[in-house]
Amino acid sequence: MNTGSNMRIGPFEVFYPIEESAPRLRHNGDPSLPGRLFVVEGIDGSGKSTQLSLLHKWLESKGYGVVFSQWNSSELVKDTTKLGKKKKMLTPATFSLIHATDFADRIERSILPLLKAGAVVLCDRYIYTAFARDVARGMDRQWVRDLYGFAAKPAVAFYFRVPLETAIGRLVTGRDGFKFYEAGLDIGLSDDPTESFRLFQGRIVDEYEKMIPEFGLTVVDATLPVEVQQAQVRQIVRTHLERAKELRVRP
Amino acid sequence: MRQTYGKLLPGMKLSDLAGKLIVVEGTDGAGRSTQINMLRPWLEELGHAVLDTGMTRSLLAGEGIRRAKEGNNLGRVTQSLFYATDFVDRLENEMIPALRAGFIVLTDRYIYSLMARAIVRGMDAGWIRGIYSAALVPDAVFYLRLDVEQLIPRVIFSRGFDYWESGMDVFPGQDMYENFRSYQAALLAEFDRLSVEFNFETLDASADAKLVFAQLQAKVQRILDRDSKKTSFTKVYDQAAAAAGTYGGHPVTLPRETTSKQSDWAFHPVAANLFRENGRNIPEHK
Repeated sequence: MNTGSNMRIGPFEVFYPIEESAPRLRHNGDPSLPGRLFVVEGIDGSGKSTQLSLLHKWLESKGYGVVFSQWNSSELVKDTTKLGKKKKMLTPATFSLIHATDFADRIERSILPLLKAGAVVLCDRYIYTAFARDVARGMDRQWVRDLYGFAAKPAVAFYFRVPLETAIGRLVTGRDGFKFYEAGLDIGLSDDPTESFRLFQGRIVDEYEKMIPEFGLTVVDATLPVEVQQAQVRQIVRTHLERAKELRVRP
Repeated sequence: MRQTYGKLLPGMKLSDLAGKLIVVEGTDGAGRSTQINMLRPWLEELGHAVLDTGMTRSLLAGEGIRRAKEGNNLGRVTQSLFYATDFVDRLENEMIPALRAGFIVLTDRYIYSLMARAIVRGMDAGWIRGIYSAALVPDAVFYLRLDVEQLIPRVIFSRGFDYWESGMDVFPGQDMYENFRSYQAALLAEFDRLSVEFNFETLDASADAKLVFAQLQAKVQRILDRDSKKTSFTKVYDQAAAAAGTYGGHPVTLPRETTSKQSDWAFHPVAANLFRENGRNIPEHK
């Protein structure tokens, strides 16, 4: 794959989107919104949520009006997703669509209005999670990208890159067993949950890697110490906030 | 072989979908469910297995959509995608398995209603078409067409104005009547556009329900006759022809054993015509 024109800013390698398959953000991708959207991406166990939580606290301490939004958390939709997962009713297509529905509700009722109001919005997982998981489940790459054509474009999408084995090591000690869909058991890669998880997450990593140049994801080496990663994240976020003139401050 | 509108979902196989997919479309109050409630027993009496399905009837999303519509906070994109989830769940778990088992699938609305509603709500037409590109191309789309002026009395004298059917989420203001007119007119305009693009067979839904039904029977009949396989339906047809004494100008006799009931023949417009043309009464069933 052509990784295209990248440049270095400080310690970071910055990739610019070069592929034609990048979605046209038709409806709401207006970059002139006064707010700023930052998202974190990566496989489970990459440490992205920890990093986002540290960023959140730091932004609040600086006085910014910050709002956090989590993947799969719409009050209107999450019961349906829960039902589908519990009863194992979801196919790759309905898995994709119900998550897009959840995302749409958060975009329409929360993320976009907040960006219009000049807030800093932090998302734990964003459309790239759907692109990675749905394609790993066999959905058409372009179809999924088009499906999320209504999404707002983030100022920065951080991708926390971690070797699969490191992530699995962090997860196995942290919990007992993997859930059905999380391990990709619905697509029959292996009957063994741990093996299935490994294979499925491997596919997801492959998709993330392809998306780095496609969407210009900002890669963070998630094997570095937490503090080092956080310093990098803050430095990048700071450059985006300095340029934003109309951000809200906390009351 | 059956086709989709462009995309295949993972695991979707289009071979062996022997059944028939028949769509009844139309705006709110056009009489779709009345017609389906007559079509189903008619087809079953002829020996066909029938699945009837419609919007928000999926196990996965039906209840979720109903709950979401109770409030006033269901956004337009969310709404469009929730309905798409409901549709694809029924497509994969009801319609395709039924078609594979040789059923006639009667569906009250299909992707066209969903696209029309989304487009009227300002969604990008290409975006919503893309989402439904994995839908199966049906054997026929019967579009029960009714003007807004004809629609209004049906709605106000039956169930009254509904928030969503009046497009209260689309149009400003609190006037339900005005919004109903604007919303339904916009839907109708979109339906008329879609009817050309997707080859709808348009029926005048302002006619008496029985007349509309007779037209639908004749049209459904033609679809079933197209089938090369000899279905129980064509057996009935053959028997009726035999009983009437002629079939394609040739004299025929009724086989000794008949399994179909007299009511099948009476209800069967083509069979009934055969009897009439031959000056015969429809025979009693033994």
